[in-house]
Amino acid sequence: MRTILAALALTTALTLPGIAMARPVTLTTTLKNYGGDGAYLAIYVTDPKGAYAGTLWMAGGKSKYYEHLTDWYRATRGNIAEINGITGASVGAGRKLEITLDLADALFDAGYTLHVDAAVEDMRDSPNEVAVPLTAAGAGQTVKGRRYVASFGYAM
Amino acid sequence: MKKTFAILFATTALTVGVGLPAWSAIHDGPRPQASREAVGDASDDGATLLFASDDGRRDRDHGRRFGRGDDDDDHDDDDDDDDDDDDYGYRGGAAGPAPAGTVTPPNNGLFGSGAAPKVKVN
Repeated sequence: MRTILAALALTTALTLPGIAMARPVTLTTTLKNYGGDGAYLAIYVTDPKGAYAGTLWMAGGKSKYYEHLTDWYRATRGNIAEINGITGASVGAGRKLEITLDLADALFDAGYTLHVDAAVEDMRDSPNEVAVPLTAAGAGQTVKGRRYVASFGYAM
Repeated sequence: MKKTFAILFATTALTVGVGLPAWSAIHDGPRPQASREAVGDASDDGATLLFASDDGRRDRDHGRRFGRGDDDDDHDDDDDDDDDDDDYGYRGGAAGPAPAGTVTPPNNGLFGSGAAPKVKVN
């Protein structure tokens, strides 16, 4: 019995820090009724120096259109490996996209910024449609986008 | 005298033949580095640089838009987009990214685990 308890305590102690290093975060993007086709959205993060750190989500599956997500494309050169496993369909006008992912704790309150680039067929490209700092205090707040995004926010 | 001229001519030809490519190689190497340094110096001074490369195309992209007029990459004779559905660009697993849930997210340090993101569109 004692051995089992000791083993349980040990595995719990080993598991807990791993769980604590990440937290589920829901990113919510609501699009305006801009009267066009589905929007391509690249949601990505830059580090405190403004350098590209990685992509969190890509809405839109045709790689030939990625160059219209201008800032994201410039940072990644359209590298598909950056978005394997985190790509979904484009988002229709007036629709709400909710993505829940396990984000590393180290990203919060450390100078990282969350960006959204947007592009719509036959309409203007909108790089840096949204840019918000990743902070614990910023969770639950929403911001407006420049052209296609009615509101964007993240919740923990 | 003739012999001297012949020797002079031969050595000159040899020098030009061997020396020119070598000179070119030496002077071609450092040039990009020098350019980069020059760019760095100018940036430090706060100057705005305009590049003559095709990047300018992207810099003027504020009015750019994508649509059916985009490059048709399928190399057939028609001008249409042969892949109108939003199926993630999959053509037998060719160039498109892997959709969420089919592979683990990239190991870019942003994700706390390899769990697939949950997505909902309303």
